[in-house]
Amino acid sequence: MTELVAKHISHIVVEVADLERAQEFYGDLLGFTGAAEGWPDCTSRHLVFGAASGQSLILAETKAPRAFPDSGVHQAYRAGATDIAAICSRLKGAGVEIFTYKEDRPAEEGDNLYVHDPDGNRIQLVADGGHGKAGVVRGIDHAAVMATDLEWEEDFYVDVLGLEVEFRLGWNTADYVRAQLWAEGKEDMAPGTRRWDERYRDIPGRKPSDGRRVARPNSHFFVIFGQSVLGVFLANRFDQEPPEEILVGTPRIAFEADEAGLDAAARLLEDRGRRFHGPVSHDAGAPVARSLYFKDPCGNFLELTHGH
Amino acid sequence: MAEVESLSHSGICVHDLKQAEDFYCKILGAEVYSRVNFKTQDALKGRSVHTSLQLEDYLFAIMLTEDFMDLPPAGQLHGANRTRHGFAVPRDRFSTVMAALADNEVAFEGPVDHPEAGPFGQSIYFKDPSGNFLEVLWRRDENEHYNEVLGMGHGSAKKG
Repeated sequence: MTELVAKHISHIVVEVADLERAQEFYGDLLGFTGAAEGWPDCTSRHLVFGAASGQSLILAETKAPRAFPDSGVHQAYRAGATDIAAICSRLKGAGVEIFTYKEDRPAEEGDNLYVHDPDGNRIQLVADGGHGKAGVVRGIDHAAVMATDLEWEEDFYVDVLGLEVEFRLGWNTADYVRAQLWAEGKEDMAPGTRRWDERYRDIPGRKPSDGRRVARPNSHFFVIFGQSVLGVFLANRFDQEPPEEILVGTPRIAFEADEAGLDAAARLLEDRGRRFHGPVSHDAGAPVARSLYFKDPCGNFLELTHGH
Repeated sequence: MAEVESLSHSGICVHDLKQAEDFYCKILGAEVYSRVNFKTQDALKGRSVHTSLQLEDYLFAIMLTEDFMDLPPAGQLHGANRTRHGFAVPRDRFSTVMAALADNEVAFEGPVDHPEAGPFGQSIYFKDPSGNFLEVLWRRDENEHYNEVLGMGHGSAKKG
């Protein structure tokens, strides 16, 4: 176990196809403020939004955004209950469909509102216990990525980054029994949390004519650090990963660390034989001072950053 | 008649894979050999959910059941609900196993003395967290080297 280096989510970079359309969604409907350009490592058109938490959301324009709406990938934003009511009112007024799902993770039992941005990025609204009057999101609560190998991922996030597993799904009989409720249409679960498996051989106790299809929980886990959590969901398909040598990319999740934490993480990655870029020092006017760029074992872009 | 040669491996059904891994690895000293169904390629094939464990030279799988199994009464420590796995340890490590069980608050029955004329010395009986009956024993013949399975002198088993 290594020393904990990641404190909370500093910022996330989300891909969108139309920056102006996305600005209306995130700015006018969700209430992110301060749209500006000038994020230090963005090479394409982009917009930077701020939140009261000090965290940032960067929208990066690209022709074919990688949003993965049918997977467990999502971004969760935190707001007060009254804020969420106001946000939902605006979303409904704009014709945005709001989904309510049951949750596996106990901490999210009451936080089951989801919407999609115009490019299919799935967004969860999480009540933070407050009651704001502004009707805007206050920060980033958590984010989730998908991965083709959960063992590699857990080893990486726990042993390299020093995070702690907070919740696992798919390791208990109870998870499989509960998946039957979803199969029978009795529980509406968020995308990426359940799946249909086609068994490669007949299922004991079932007639071959009844088929080999079984409902299962889609395994995932959450790691916790400071006030943030990160979900890692098993991918149900293989997508082309970015080339191995590309270390700075999008979509990306950035974690805040202290200055020494960036150097310590670089040494850990080097010891593990993992590629990284940096730590890079940004210009004095940039919103972050230094960044270390790398990927998790399944190709998700990550960043450790230290603010000014 | 088919002539199978030996036991290759076995499977133990469990309700909680992580809990079972911890039990067999941290208390009994097994090591994780492989896990199945935490990779996309396993999910796409619809494979069963299990972890293969290695305990010295023995390979067995702890297999997650997709329905709940009947459990034996909580106080029953000796029996065979589905199967009972008996693991051997050298006599001088037998007390270490008992201490490990006690340290981890795993209730066990025994040690039970076996007849002196037989190959077994003493056994302890306990259950894993999913209610599977287990046994750990030491053998009086632990220093013997067997090169082949000897016929029992009855049935159709071949005699050497």
